[in-house]
Amino acid sequence: MSTLAIQAEGLVRDFGPIRALDHLSLEVPAGIVFGFLGPNGAGKTTAIRAFLGLVEPTAGSARVLGFDTRREGDQIRERAGALLEHHGLYERLTAEQNLDFAGRIWRMSSGERQARIRELLEQFGLWDRRREPAGKWSRGMKQKLAVARAVFHRPPLVFLDEPTAGLDPVASAALREDLASLAAGHGVTIFLTTHNLVEAERLCDLVGVIRRGRLAALGPPASLRPNDPPIVRVRGTGLDAVIAGEAASVPGVVEASLVDGVLEVRFAEGARAAPLVAMLVERGVGIDEVRHDRQTLEETFLELVREDAGSTTPARGAT
Amino acid sequence: MMAPDILTVAWKEWLEFRDQLLRLKRGGLSALIVLLMLGIITPLQMGPLWLTSPLMLAYWPLLSSGMVSTLIADAFAGERERHTLETLLASRLSDTSILLGKVLAAIVYGIVFTSANIVVGVITLTITHVGEGIQAPSPTHVGYMLVLVTLACSTLAGIGVFISLRAATVRQAQQTLGIIMMVMFIGPVLFIQFLDSEARMSLAARLTTLGTGRLVGWASALLLAASVILIVMAMTRFKRGKLTLD
Repeated sequence: MSTLAIQAEGLVRDFGPIRALDHLSLEVPAGIVFGFLGPNGAGKTTAIRAFLGLVEPTAGSARVLGFDTRREGDQIRERAGALLEHHGLYERLTAEQNLDFAGRIWRMSSGERQARIRELLEQFGLWDRRREPAGKWSRGMKQKLAVARAVFHRPPLVFLDEPTAGLDPVASAALREDLASLAAGHGVTIFLTTHNLVEAERLCDLVGVIRRGRLAALGPPASLRPNDPPIVRVRGTGLDAVIAGEAASVPGVVEASLVDGVLEVRFAEGARAAPLVAMLVERGVGIDEVRHDRQTLEETFLELVREDAGSTTPARGAT
Repeated sequence: MMAPDILTVAWKEWLEFRDQLLRLKRGGLSALIVLLMLGIITPLQMGPLWLTSPLMLAYWPLLSSGMVSTLIADAFAGERERHTLETLLASRLSDTSILLGKVLAAIVYGIVFTSANIVVGVITLTITHVGEGIQAPSPTHVGYMLVLVTLACSTLAGIGVFISLRAATVRQAQQTLGIIMMVMFIGPVLFIQFLDSEARMSLAARLTTLGTGRLVGWASALLLAASVILIVMAMTRFKRGKLTLD
């Protein structure tokens, strides 16, 4: 197998006048959890469909597990697992039958299927309810079952399209834990689309942000944040507008202001907070806390998706 | 090796359909009512003629294909309506094996439906004609029936695939197929009604001269050609690329 699980080169997909994928170029190394972030309609689902060979690109090309999506879709689907936009479970069938069907599709022997059903349902805490029709289950349980179905045949690559969408925080957290345990140590590549930035930050080794079919950023979650120096927030006694004014004149400080009794100071590139702290101590400020706050992935994401869509700025982050 | 994949899809369709039957909802309840009507009440009314009449050779294919229309609409339009089709298309199964698996399940259902009714009818007639031995149709008659039922079901399955792929919902697909079935039922009757008496006599004489075996042969050839054409055409329509975009 190629060391790249997915390699897309200038992928374009038009639906009439709408361009769902706009020269999407992307490389996803094998064995990692890749998070594909983007607002609704950004092209995440179309990208998954293209990678699975379900829709043909209008232009460009993509190779998944070394196979060309245009000509070798069968080979890709043979090796991949997928949880798409909808869970795709047969609600009249029991959990056991849904998984059994998946095993039959991948021509697993009866013994192998039974063992795998037990293994996965126990891992997801669903074993006791295996004989109930899936239609009677909660959304969280269905999503877990759908994930179990996607990984049933032990594929080297799994596509999960917003697996935690619509789940309550508890169910989301439980599913996230299950996904983390699936990813750990199995060498499986997980291609995950999500709106949940916490999920992406916790689960993903690499994150791509897609906006209007274009890759806006790519890199490990931490690298996507801008290299802006952090904002330093100081809490304590004796902080007032005069002190804030003095803080603004400390070397390296770009901006200082008092917000709800907290001194917020933005530094220039490479500047350190020590001179500021020394000045505050000298002025008799009783410092309770000095905190460096970095931009969260969520803030970065919102910034990226708000940027002008017509921008030709290269993707942020490293490949 | 496509056969195991076709059987896998057919197995899943059967599981879904069996579930409906066991829960006696919609399809299940109507199947029971039909079994009661066709397997018990009609044989009681018609007597042993129910087993031997050549008319039954048209009756069973029409009825069983009517039942198949319900299943085929659910198998195609239903799968899309319930958002399970895309997941199936994202699997390793080929378009053809998915299509043929569903069609096979529908055809087998038609055969099982007819066979179950005939068995119940035989039991009903044997019980009501105590002392006259087992009331059963001849093996040739059974063979004719099964051939015609199989071909009629596959023809209707072919039509059903087209209708279902174009229908927005299962209900819409079933309604359209219901209209087609009605035309199939009423069409021949209306055709005969519009013939003058001389033409009717001539047609009857010609059919009698042909004999049951030859009639079944012609009907089978016609149905076989229709079902092959329809299923091949359905195979060209049932493609991942098109279905994913629908």
